[in-house]
Amino acid sequence: MKAVWQIVSSQYRHDRFHFWLGILAAILPAVAGILLLGVSGWFITAAALAGLSGAFLNIFAPSAIIRALAIIRTGGRYGERVVTHDATFRFLAALRNQLFAAFVATKDRHRRSAVLLNRLTLDITALDTVYLRIVVPVLLCGVIAAGLLCVWFAISLPMFVAGAVFLGAWAGLAWVSVARADAKAARRADAASDAIRLRAADLVAGRRDLAIYGGLDAAAAPILSAADRLTVAEDVEECRATRLICLSSLVGQTFLAVSLAVAIVGTAQAAFTPALAVGLVLVVVALPELFSMALPGLARLPRTALAAKRVSALQSTPLAQTTSAQTPVIRQPGDNPALLGFEGVTFRYPGAARNVLETLSFDIRKGEVVAIAGRSGCGKSTVAAIAARMLEPRTGRVFLEGQDLRTYDEQALRRSITVLGQRAYLFNDTVAANLRIANADASEADLWAALEHAALADRIAESPLGFGTVLGEGGLGLSGGEQRRLALARAFLTRPQLFILDEMTEGLDKETSRDVLSRFLEFRGSASVLMIAHKRLELEAADRILRLPEPGHEIR
Amino acid sequence: MQRQAHAAIGQPLEGEGRALRRTGYLLGVSDLLWIPQAGLISIALGKMLADLSGAGAAGLQSALVSGQLFLIVAALVCLALLRTFLQNQALNGARRVAHKIQSRAREHILQVSVKRSPSADFPASGAFAARITEQVDLLGPYYRNYLPQVMRLKLVPLAIVLVTAWFSWLAALILLICGPLIPVFMALIGMRAKAASAAQQEELTRLSGMLLDRIRGLETLILFGAAERTEDDIRSAGERFRLGTMRVLKIAFLSSTVLELFSALGIAFCAVYVGFSLLGDIQFGTWGAPLTYSAGLFVLLLAPDFFAPLRAYAAAYHDRAAGIAALEKLAALIAEIGPDSPQLPECISMEHSAAVALEGISSPPSIRFSDVTLTLAGRRIFANMDLDVAPGETVFLAGPSGSGKTTLLDCLLGFHNLAEGDIRIDGKSARQVAGPLRRNVIWISQSPRLFHGSLKANLLKGVENGVPVNEDDLWQALRLAGAEELVRRLPHGLATQLGEDGFGLSVGEIRRVALARAAMRRNAALVLADEPTAGLDEDTAADVIRGLKTLTAGRTSLIASHDPAVLEMPGRTIDLVDLAAGVREGAAP
Repeated sequence: MKAVWQIVSSQYRHDRFHFWLGILAAILPAVAGILLLGVSGWFITAAALAGLSGAFLNIFAPSAIIRALAIIRTGGRYGERVVTHDATFRFLAALRNQLFAAFVATKDRHRRSAVLLNRLTLDITALDTVYLRIVVPVLLCGVIAAGLLCVWFAISLPMFVAGAVFLGAWAGLAWVSVARADAKAARRADAASDAIRLRAADLVAGRRDLAIYGGLDAAAAPILSAADRLTVAEDVEECRATRLICLSSLVGQTFLAVSLAVAIVGTAQAAFTPALAVGLVLVVVALPELFSMALPGLARLPRTALAAKRVSALQSTPLAQTTSAQTPVIRQPGDNPALLGFEGVTFRYPGAARNVLETLSFDIRKGEVVAIAGRSGCGKSTVAAIAARMLEPRTGRVFLEGQDLRTYDEQALRRSITVLGQRAYLFNDTVAANLRIANADASEADLWAALEHAALADRIAESPLGFGTVLGEGGLGLSGGEQRRLALARAFLTRPQLFILDEMTEGLDKETSRDVLSRFLEFRGSASVLMIAHKRLELEAADRILRLPEPGHEIR
Repeated sequence: MQRQAHAAIGQPLEGEGRALRRTGYLLGVSDLLWIPQAGLISIALGKMLADLSGAGAAGLQSALVSGQLFLIVAALVCLALLRTFLQNQALNGARRVAHKIQSRAREHILQVSVKRSPSADFPASGAFAARITEQVDLLGPYYRNYLPQVMRLKLVPLAIVLVTAWFSWLAALILLICGPLIPVFMALIGMRAKAASAAQQEELTRLSGMLLDRIRGLETLILFGAAERTEDDIRSAGERFRLGTMRVLKIAFLSSTVLELFSALGIAFCAVYVGFSLLGDIQFGTWGAPLTYSAGLFVLLLAPDFFAPLRAYAAAYHDRAAGIAALEKLAALIAEIGPDSPQLPECISMEHSAAVALEGISSPPSIRFSDVTLTLAGRRIFANMDLDVAPGETVFLAGPSGSGKTTLLDCLLGFHNLAEGDIRIDGKSARQVAGPLRRNVIWISQSPRLFHGSLKANLLKGVENGVPVNEDDLWQALRLAGAEELVRRLPHGLATQLGEDGFGLSVGEIRRVALARAAMRRNAALVLADEPTAGLDEDTAADVIRGLKTLTAGRTSLIASHDPAVLEMPGRTIDLVDLAAGVREGAAP
């Protein structure tokens, strides 16, 4: 529940004006709806009495009021919906931004499970219920209840007491649904849903492997049992919600019966006029709809709380170290003319038993092409990640142009280093947008030149939309080699001092590898290159080869 | 599982449809019990007024003493209990039926998808996961909320109009005019809103997709220093989406506003009409006798409940739209992967033939392709192909990509239906032994998948159920695959949890673990390998080849590869282009 509260308070802090505006907008139509029935009851009773006694009754004011209330209720409902939805969407838009910023700032750069990331979008969408279905109805009920109690108190004490009892009963229902919320069932339902998602994705992506190892039927069985668990957990949740709704309607009807008795007894004791008595009864007729409004939202609270918890957890992931805090360590210029220097770098992945890199030291001079070779798992990619400041060494230092990498300005660092990885990520966006990630100011001519250089211009020109072609799902499907070329074209839009190639030609056939590599070497100009390599082709292109030892062995 | 084959996906069975209608009637009856409740209230208040004007407050007090009021209150509470009971029954019943339909839909999807040949096209895993979770979830509210509301809508307003008409035809006329006008206006506005909201829903999907896409590619963005720029992009996309959505909602809310307007005006007109006729200013609208106070109050009390089912229906209408859209998507999925598309020729769960067939291929089998012709998606892959492999022989399949290497191996595994010809494994039809064979073949692919679960569980997938395996067997297989070191290095060893797609291991590590999984099948007599060294670094490739050499010894082996290092192994090399010579002439235009 704390997480929900956090969401509420962050929405409140994000935009107080719209937060309150939505609640105020909800009060108007609710009051009009109650008064519509109340005034109607009062009016027809007064009219009946006047008709019997022949006394004069001003009929125009009440009938005008009734029609006005009808209009206010209608218009108010419309305004309320527009205002509250607008407030919610403003908040959700801000939440998406915050989440992305949090992802940028986290230390944790590991690849994330695509399936679980998908769940994140569902969570964000689920949070719109917090304000719309919980905050607004609950506050509205509170305000209306307070108002009603004041009015009843002014009219008659028995009515006040009866009202207090039944409003208390509704409040009790709301309280029970929050305090006795079945968080366990919600957690089970969410876990079952996640299990279905993950295993179904496995079942599809690994169909061939499963058909041979383990069997597809056997792989479907855990999905079915997760589906059963989901059904059971949802049944528990919905059963509670149903009970809540039924109890609420029972409270409403009993209240009506009691208020009828109070009204008639009050009239008999001449505590109020018969017209007022009927008005009071009809007000009670209008109440159940209003006071049951918050219940569905409250019944779903445990699930909402889980979504809120997951989102809040992402928002508050530990931030990356601030680089400016450390005193800059600068090597003497004459000391070392190297562009990139590793000095006694040791690294260990969190949770791993031993170091991947053990006191690694090497230099890359300006214009030099250095290849790093070694068996897979010996930490080649770790070297690349440390050089690009995607990982922090455990001990030791890394220098770029003689300056400690830790103190290097982020913007300047990204201008100085371009990384071409084996998993070049292409965004589900246009070709132009994908290229301009490297250089936002690149002109169309620049983009074509880069594509030309990567031998991809013809392929892109073929498609009718050219640069506007969308890549990825439902768009242009590029082959593995073409994707690599597009990533290469992206790199060709930068002018760094150091290129870091992390197995750039991994998974490409020989022809393509040779082509991609030679095009790259031709382009690099005077920039230095740190190349993580295992192909002979790549090793041959290097000025110098640095062999990393097997983990746990000394450097040869 | 057999019975579902007849019902369309996500549709209620006959009995379930009836049960849903019954819950709707229960809801309706619960609503209609408001009529006697309203009647009792009107009678009580009418009597109060009559006593008051007849004998003053004293008369009213004597009436109270007679206990009539107590009886009326008790009757009201009893009716309330009955209504609540019916409502509870209805909601619970509808929920149970909806859950049954949902469970069956999930079963149906899985049942169809496990029968589909692994070499046939399939939707993306993420899309499939979304169908089986989110889309099936959407069926719940549709069946639970919407369908019962339809029955309630058919029953309640009509009954209320008839009861109202008994006392005053004019009041009934007010309801009759206001009521049917609602759907007309709602439909007019709704049609515009529907198109706009569908577009907006797509926009939301796009926006969510964009956020995910950027998070997944975050590393790339940071490396190019583009993270801040992207934050701006996301902000402006979110803002655009909000404005667009509000535009849509402003129209969509209009349709519910029409409903509110007519129901509020209906109540207001009833109240004004009743008030004026009680005053004597209006003399018509009834069947002769003037409207009594009780009748007038009764009419007024019924008016809101005439509109209540309409409002509930409108609220549930969104569930209908979502439910029907989900049904369409699920039906499209079944059509895509269902029985009309290529199937596994033989159900994997045919246990009875397993034992017999397994016995048959416990020693290295011979393989004979005779006159095999296969066409896939209009392209002829093999034309009248013949191939003989002797027991224990190692055969390398060479040829450029697209020459049918993978397809040939798939034929042995029973993933394709042959147009003509015959494949015999140890003299038995490949179709017959494919099922058992799959469970006891050493198969190595170029892009193996590991699965969510522990590393040990992944290795055990290679082992037939019930076959005892100890820790040493696992390590032996890992050693053979050159994966022993890497597993010992992992923080939790064999118990290390892998995510989907071997999450947590590098590409080369996944390949070695997959090789170890294959090596768990020590009793297998046949080895099938498809580009086992593709995309591997030299060291990993050497490990894989070393493992492969051990595995092929004493087994019949078919290895598709164009890696010279693999082809150096002893064995016969066949060029598929020559073998399937018919391809050139027989190629479809």
